[in-house]
Amino acid sequence: MKTLKILFVLALAVAGLSAVWAAVDDALSFAHESALPFVKQGYIIREDAWGGDLGVKDQQAVTAQLFKGNDYWFCLGTDTKGAVVTVHVYDSNGKLAEVESYQRPGKAGSGAYFAGARVIPQKTGTYYAIVTVEKSPAERTNWALVYGYK
Amino acid sequence: MMRALLTGPRPIAKLIFAMLPRLIPAALCGLAFAGAAAQTPPQTVDLSKFPATAVDEVVVPVPSEVFNVLDKLGSPNWKGEMRDSLGTNTGNRAQVALLLGTVIAEGFVAVEAEDSQRVKEIGQEVLVLADAINVRKAVIARSKSVIEKADAKNWRAVRSELDGALQDVRAAMQELGDEDLAQLVSLGGWIRGTEVLTSIVSKNYTPDGAELLNQPELVAYFSRRIEEMRSSRLRKEELVAKVRKLLRDIRPLIAKGSIPVSNVQKINKLTGDMVTVITSGQE
Repeated sequence: MKTLKILFVLALAVAGLSAVWAAVDDALSFAHESALPFVKQGYIIREDAWGGDLGVKDQQAVTAQLFKGNDYWFCLGTDTKGAVVTVHVYDSNGKLAEVESYQRPGKAGSGAYFAGARVIPQKTGTYYAIVTVEKSPAERTNWALVYGYK
Repeated sequence: MMRALLTGPRPIAKLIFAMLPRLIPAALCGLAFAGAAAQTPPQTVDLSKFPATAVDEVVVPVPSEVFNVLDKLGSPNWKGEMRDSLGTNTGNRAQVALLLGTVIAEGFVAVEAEDSQRVKEIGQEVLVLADAINVRKAVIARSKSVIEKADAKNWRAVRSELDGALQDVRAAMQELGDEDLAQLVSLGGWIRGTEVLTSIVSKNYTPDGAELLNQPELVAYFSRRIEEMRSSRLRKEELVAKVRKLLRDIRPLIAKGSIPVSNVQKINKLTGDMVTVITSGQE
């Protein structure tokens, strides 16, 4: 009986972890979907990505070394239905550095929401991509960020 | 969970960074977002008010990002930048990790020089070095692909595969719990890349070219990662100590402002000497 209980708890833990991984997986898929139009424009999307989950109005800064001469798109995705997320990029002086940005829902029924910010650095240096969960029906909202350059 | 680095083509939610505190919103909302429409970004934010942990980590650029810019700076003599030897594997894990990074960076130089034979040698060498630090499996496909694409002279694809090889090696090491060694691979690549960058910039100096060296946060980040290495034995190794000193010596040379040609030359000498130490295996 005790063994069965342990197995049951283990199964629950595995199922819980799988759900978390799957959610991050979905957010990442949506981040890549968000970046897709830019791939067609010749941007190279890095294979690594950043992500996690945030509460409503929580923010996350991702620090990146960007180079003058490159043109970057930071693309964000979430799979949390009804959530609105944004990403905006600031330079090391805290000045908004992006030249354009977008926020839009994904295909109807997908639950996805996309955001992006384009930076053409005027200087080589450190930049901060700030991810914000603007609103969400969920306590925690999954997000994933990728970036591309050309 | 607030932040994770997701590595590899299929993400494993691999937590690289310490989870960040939930203090960021207070800092930013109070400063800049107050009164702003939800999706309208503020024009400025006070970064000094960020909790330290929020800006503690830096995304290390992949070599392609730098070489992409170098492409636009004219037509340097890339063949002249290639090293004769890829280096000697001493069996010391720190040296092998650093060497692997330099070899991958060398791959980018060979791509620029459009030397397919050299790229193929590098593809093979990456496999040999990866084997020496138990991550061969992670780069077999990449290595094969590098060789195939070099044969086809598909240089853009080779670059992408080399970037991917670096990331796969790092991800595999992290999965093995070898985060310290993974960092050394990145550092090896950065050191060799910086040597090449400074060589090119100093031969045809322009402030724009020199500005590519404006990487103070990245250098500070690498220094921190060495200071925070979990393995004190690794941290105290002579080769690692030399890398730490190199970073310390470079920091004032890339302090804010324009970087003069004399500093570019100094960085070139420092990184060149370090590459020699890494590749020769002499400590």
